[in-house]
Amino acid sequence: MEFAIEIKNLVKKYQNKTAVDDVSFSVKRGEFFGFLGPNGAGKTSTINALTGIGQFQGGEIKVFGFDVVKDYREARRKIGLSPQEFNIDAFVSPRDTLYYVGGFFGMPKKERVKRADSVLRELGFGHEADLPFRALSGGFKRRVMLARAMMHNPDILILDEPTAGADVELRHGLWKILSDLNKKGKTILLTTHYLEEAERLCDRIGIIYNGKLVALESKHELIKDGKSIEEHYLNLTTNGATQ
Amino acid sequence: MNFIGVLAFIEKETSKMRHLGAQILFAPWVSALLYILIFGQVVGQRIGEISGVTYIDFVVPGLLMMNIMQSAFGHASSVLYFNRFIGSINELITAPFSYFEIIIGFLVSSLIRVLVIGGGVYVIALLFTVTTVNHFFLFLFYVISSSIVFALAGLLVGLWAEHFEHLAIPTIFIIMPLTFLGGVFNSIYMLPEKLQIFAYFNPFFYFIDGMRYSMIGISESNRTAGILFILTLILVLGAWVWKLFKIGYKIRN
Repeated sequence: MEFAIEIKNLVKKYQNKTAVDDVSFSVKRGEFFGFLGPNGAGKTSTINALTGIGQFQGGEIKVFGFDVVKDYREARRKIGLSPQEFNIDAFVSPRDTLYYVGGFFGMPKKERVKRADSVLRELGFGHEADLPFRALSGGFKRRVMLARAMMHNPDILILDEPTAGADVELRHGLWKILSDLNKKGKTILLTTHYLEEAERLCDRIGIIYNGKLVALESKHELIKDGKSIEEHYLNLTTNGATQ
Repeated sequence: MNFIGVLAFIEKETSKMRHLGAQILFAPWVSALLYILIFGQVVGQRIGEISGVTYIDFVVPGLLMMNIMQSAFGHASSVLYFNRFIGSINELITAPFSYFEIIIGFLVSSLIRVLVIGGGVYVIALLFTVTTVNHFFLFLFYVISSSIVFALAGLLVGLWAEHFEHLAIPTIFIIMPLTFLGGVFNSIYMLPEKLQIFAYFNPFFYFIDGMRYSMIGISESNRTAGILFILTLILVLGAWVWKLFKIGYKIRN
């Protein structure tokens, strides 16, 4: 079995606080993996360690067999990240943002222009593609985040709360896009606070609480006792996890 | 080496000169025009010659160097701080770049801005005097080396700054005073005798004096020592910036 992501004994500390405490899990190629947990549980710290944004103090992370520290160039080419916060230059248009980011990943100019056009079309951009980021609606801003992650056609998409703040219509639209991407073979690691979203989209779910992985099962395994993911989640992240 | 990536980064950062031309380009050009007009023409005609050249010819190399220092510093510090502030620095960190490549991207984009601004200042100077370049390769050395030194200093400030105001502090309290005391508008022999010795301890003096020599052949310092000093600065500041990027100081959590 080839793993898209392998995390072994990951430890991430912020001064005296251990944000991620000896966490190990793997994500299979082509899997839709839900990574859940309350605020401050260690989700974003894990994602940061995986993508290079954050350093970590212990453990090992591999992306399609490439170590994210030693073989960082190969590992990063495999990953597209859509972070929680809007971190795009407000004066740059979506088209230009994609053009530059494609360049960062080594795509030649002609290929970048073509790919940006295709990604923007796929995500429903019209004239919005050439407006500055600050002039876009919240929904289109979210789509730019996803488009940027998709631009270099990575094998893995890491989506940190991609539907946060999105209205119902947009959320359903994004679910459809994510589902299609997964069907086309993309491995997706999704964090979300909308448990309905995880239940609908994910094949397997990991729940992190207080820096420790407290559940790691397929969605069907998790809910076979008749309880919803939400019930399991609440049980694990309130009274169950610390026992 | 991620060549395409570095070029894309440079293209992104220099494209801002198109969008923010009034602030980035016209402001220094207008201020250079005023300096040349007031100090070079109006005041200069009453001063007469310094070291055998007209005052305007004496001032122009200093003004050029002043613009190089300020624009290299301003570009590197503001671009890095802005990228940190909005979080778009993560676009670089999550891309297949080494720290060295990121630093090169900042330095080259600073140099391009310097060349555009410096080129404009030079053309403005040509409206008032026949500004010459006596030693072209030395001139090139001073343009490039001073851009690198001040861009590296700008990166240090861009990493250190916590607020936008922090970006202005080094310009107001370090760069401007040392530039003015480094002989932009006067020969250091015009300073009171007791102050002249301090000019030799002012690092900016060696940039300004070197530029003046490369353009009009007048020098008041030991140029070899000055060049060695500049090269040492590049190595020390370069190593410092690289180390801070490597440990992720204020850019990786």
